Amino acid sequence: MSDAVVSAEPMLEVSGLTVDFLTDDGLLHAVDHVTFGIARGETVGIVGESGSGKSVMSMAIMGLLPKSARVTGSVKFRGQELLGASERDLQRIRGSEIAMVFQDALASLNPVHTVGAQVAEAVAIHQELKGSELRNAAIALLDVVGIANPSARFEQYPHEFSGGMRQRAMIAMAIANDPAVLIADEPTTALDVTIQAQVLEVLERIQQRTSTSIMLITHDLGVVAGVADSVMVMYAGSQVERGSVEEIFYESRHPYTKGLLASLPRMDRRVDKSDRLHQIEGQPPSLVFLPTGCAFHPRCPFAETPGACDGEVPALQVVGDGHYSACHFPDRIGSDEGMKS
Amino acid sequence: MPSMLTYISRRLLFSIPVILVASFLLFWMVRSTFDPCVKMRASKDVEAVTRCETRLHLDDPIPTQYLGWASDAAHGDLGESSRTNEEVSAMVPRALWYTVQLIFWGVLISAFAAVALGVYSALKQYSVLDYTFTGASFVGLAMPPFWFGLMAIELLAIMPKQWLGLDEPLFYFVGLHSGAEKGFGADYARHLVLPVMTLTVQIIASWSRFQRSSMLDVMSADYVRTARAKGVPRRDVVVHHALRNALVPLVTVMALDIGALFGGLIITETIFSIPGMGQLFVRSLQAGDAEVLVVWTVVTAGFIVVFNLLADVLYGLMDPRVRVT
Amino acid sequence: MSGETPDHRSLVDSPPGSAGPSGLIGSELVPSASHAFDTAAHASPVARSQWALFRRRFLRHKMALVSLGVLAFLFIVCFGANLVAPYSNTEQDLLLGPVGPRMSHWFGTDELGRDQLSRLLYAGRISLKIGIAVALISTVFGTAIGAIAAYFGKATDQTLMRLTDLFLVVPAIAILAIALERFGSGDTTIILVLAGLFWMYVARIVRGEVLGIKEKEFIEAARASGASSTRVIVRHIVPNIFGPIMVNATLGVALAIVAESTLSYLGFGVEPPQTSWGNMLSQASGYVGTDRAYLIYAPGFAILITVLAVNFLGDGLRDAFDPHTDRHQ
Repeated sequence: MSDAVVSAEPMLEVSGLTVDFLTDDGLLHAVDHVTFGIARGETVGIVGESGSGKSVMSMAIMGLLPKSARVTGSVKFRGQELLGASERDLQRIRGSEIAMVFQDALASLNPVHTVGAQVAEAVAIHQELKGSELRNAAIALLDVVGIANPSARFEQYPHEFSGGMRQRAMIAMAIANDPAVLIADEPTTALDVTIQAQVLEVLERIQQRTSTSIMLITHDLGVVAGVADSVMVMYAGSQVERGSVEEIFYESRHPYTKGLLASLPRMDRRVDKSDRLHQIEGQPPSLVFLPTGCAFHPRCPFAETPGACDGEVPALQVVGDGHYSACHFPDRIGSDEGMKS
Repeated sequence: MPSMLTYISRRLLFSIPVILVASFLLFWMVRSTFDPCVKMRASKDVEAVTRCETRLHLDDPIPTQYLGWASDAAHGDLGESSRTNEEVSAMVPRALWYTVQLIFWGVLISAFAAVALGVYSALKQYSVLDYTFTGASFVGLAMPPFWFGLMAIELLAIMPKQWLGLDEPLFYFVGLHSGAEKGFGADYARHLVLPVMTLTVQIIASWSRFQRSSMLDVMSADYVRTARAKGVPRRDVVVHHALRNALVPLVTVMALDIGALFGGLIITETIFSIPGMGQLFVRSLQAGDAEVLVVWTVVTAGFIVVFNLLADVLYGLMDPRVRVT
Repeated sequence: MSGETPDHRSLVDSPPGSAGPSGLIGSELVPSASHAFDTAAHASPVARSQWALFRRRFLRHKMALVSLGVLAFLFIVCFGANLVAPYSNTEQDLLLGPVGPRMSHWFGTDELGRDQLSRLLYAGRISLKIGIAVALISTVFGTAIGAIAAYFGKATDQTLMRLTDLFLVVPAIAILAIALERFGSGDTTIILVLAGLFWMYVARIVRGEVLGIKEKEFIEAARASGASSTRVIVRHIVPNIFGPIMVNATLGVALAIVAESTLSYLGFGVEPPQTSWGNMLSQASGYVGTDRAYLIYAPGFAILITVLAVNFLGDGLRDAFDPHTDRHQ
C-alpha cells in the first residue's frame, strides 16, 4: 500500500457515473456524476454514510443493477468500456478481472452449498480445472486467507463458520482468479474489532502478492486511514471530496469530511467528560427530494443561507495537488480543529 | 442417524391419540345421526331390522360400540360394512388404489407444471406471459372445482365428439377403464385426462404462485448477487443457486398438500365416477356406515401425519441449516 | 372446504402446521432493486397519515378498483332484482319449456321455462348473503378466540388451540353433512356450519398477529394505565391487526361462496324453494352432454366473477395495508 506501487496505469476509470431509479415518488438519484480512477496496486477508500450511494455505485461498476436502474456515464476497465457491454463480456470480467467482497457474508454465501464448493465454483468458472486439481486449488485459497485446517473446512456449510471465517471465505472466492480490481463493500462492518483488523490484514497481504487495486467501501474513516492510498468521500450520491489519504485526514476542505473526522474516536486526544464525540447534526436527505443547492447545506455549520449554499450546486474544484472539494467555501474549512463544536 | 429415527417414531406415537379421538368423534356423530339399518326399516321386515341391530350392537351405548370395534381391530378384524356387508379391510385398500393413481398422475403433472410456470414467471416478472399465468392462476383458484370438471366434460369430450362426428369421445369421463379393459394403455390414458385435469387445476395454480414468489425471493437474495459477481453464467445462477434454494419451501408445501389429498378427491371422484377414497367416504356417510368411516378416518389422518413428517424430513435433507432434532 | 384439495382452504390460512401456499396468491415482492439501496433511501420524505397512505396504495391497485366496481354492480342487480330482473323469480312458462339463450331470454330458460337471468339475479342474493355472513361470523368468532388465546397465553392458549386442532382433523365434509342432516339445509344452517368450519383459520392468524404485538410498548402502556383486558383487546390490539383481519375476511367471502356451491353439488346445499348459484349449477350438472348444457355456464361464471373480484379486492387491501409493498409498481 505504498505510493511506490501506485503506477500511472489506470485500472479502472469512472467518469460522470450517474444512477437513477424511477420510484413512485419520482426519480431517485442514487449516484450523481461520480468521477474517479484507481491505479494498479492502489487502494481507494470510498467513504460515506448509508444511503450515500457507495454500494449502488459498486453494483453499477459490476453491471449488477436491476433493469429498473438507469445508468449513464462511463466505466472503463483497462480502457474497455463496461457500461453497455454484453452480458457475456461482463460475465468473463466478473470474478476474474473485477471481483467483489460483500458486507454480510452469511447472507452472501449460498446456504445449501458447502463453502468449498462455492470457492471451487469461483475457480472453475474462469479456469480449466477439474476434480482433485480444482479441490486442491480451492483448499489452497482457503489457506491463503488464513482459514485453519482448510481441507476439513472445505466440506462445511456457511452456517458452520464464524463471522470472521465467513468473510475470509468470501475473500477467498473473490481472489480465486487473481483479479486486477477488488471491490470490498463494507467487508469488516459486521465484525469484531480484532477480527476487522485480521480481515484487513488479509486484504493487504493479497494486495502485496498480486498488486491488486482495491476499492474499499466503508462508512468508517478509521478503517480507511490504515489501508487506503486515496480517499473519496460521498454524500447523498455525489462525491464531496477526493484526495490522498494525508490530505483528507490533515487538510480536509469539506465540512462533511470534517464532521466525519471529528466523530472519530482518537487515541491521540485526551478524552474528558466535556469532550464527547462529535456528531453531525440532522439526517441524510432523501435521494428523491434533495435540498436545493449543496445537498449538505441543511446540516452544515458553515452554510450561508440564503446564498450560494442553498442556491447553487457546488462543483468539484481543485483545492490542492490531486485534491478536490465540492464546497462553495473550501478556504473557510481551515485548521484541523475547525469543526470542533 | 438414531436421533432422526427417535424423532420420527416419537412424532408417529404422539399422533396416535389425536387420530383415535378424531375417529371416535366421527363414529359417535355418525351413529347418533344416521341410521345404518334404514333400508331394513323401509322394507318393514322386523326380523331383518333386529338382525341388523344385533349385528351392529346398536343397543349398546356408543362408546361401548366403539370399544368393541377397537378390540376387534386390535385382533386384525376391521369389521364389515353395514352398507355392503363387505370386509372393510378389503374395501379401503381397493378405494385407496384408485385414489393413489389419481394422486400419482396429478402430482407428477402439477409438480412439473408448477415449477416451470413459477420459475418462468419469476424470471420474466411483469412480462406478458407472467401476467397471463398470474391471471390464469387467479381464475383457476376462483373456479368451483366441480364446475371446471363439468365444463371439461362438455367442452373437451362431448362437443368435439359431436363436431367431429366420432363414435366415442376422445376423452372418457366415467371410471378409469372402459368395460373389460385393463392395464395402463391408451384406454387408461383417455380415461385419466379429464379427472387429472380437474384435480390439478387448483394445485397447479396454487403451487405455481408459491414457486413464483419463492423464486422471486431467492433471486433477490445476497447469495445470488454473489454468484453473479463471481461471473457465474445466468443459467447456472438460476438452476444451481436460485432454484436449488427456492425448491426447499415448495417441496415442503407439496408434501403437506399431498398428504391431505388421500381423503380429499371427493369432487373429482364424484364427477368421473371413480370409486376412490372420496367416493367411499360420501357413500358411507350417507348410509351411516360408521365401521367404514372409522377406518377411513384413521387411514387418511395417518397419511396426513406421515406426509407432515415427510415434509419435515425433506426440509432437513434439503436445507443443511435445519437439523431435525 | 369441499374437501377437494387443501388449496382453497389455504387461501384463508395454511393447513395445520404447514407453511401452506397461503397468502402468496398475487403477493408481489418488492422490486429487486431494493437490495442495492442503502436503507436511508427508503425513508419516506413526506409524512403521510396512515389512512392517506392506505388510500393511495389502494387506489393504485387497478384490479382491486375494477373489482370493487364489479362487486358493487353485482350487489345492486342482485339485491335490486325485483326492479331489474326481466321476469319474476318463479314465473314459469311451461309452453316455452327449455330454450337456449336468445333476445327474450339472454341466458335461456330451464325445463320449466323459467328465465335463467332472472333466477341468476335472485339466486345471487342467497350466494352473496351466505358469503358475507359466513365471513363476518367466522371473522368475529375467530378473532375473539385467537386474540383471547394469544393475550392470556398459558393454559387458555393451550386449550383453545388444541380445540382448534381437533376441528381441523375431523373431515370438514363430515361435520357439514351431519349438521345439515340434523338441522336441515336452510341458508341459516349453511351459514352457521360454514362459519363453524372457517373460524379456526382466522383464529390461527389472529393469534399469531396478537403474539407479535402484545409485548409492544403501547400495549404495555395501556395495561399499565389500568385498562381492563377486554378494553386492551378491543381498543388497542384489534385495531392494530385490522389489516390482516380484513384481508382474510374478504377471502372468506370467496371461500364461502365456492364452498356453498360445492356442497350443493354434493347434495348438501340450500334446498328449493331457496336457490343459490351453486344450487342452479348442481341442477344444471345433470344436463351436461345434452342440448341443455348451456345451463351450466351462467351460474358458473357468476361464481367465478364474484370470487375473482373478491380475491382481487383482498389483494388490493393486502398491498394497501402492508407497508412493505410501498414500492410496488
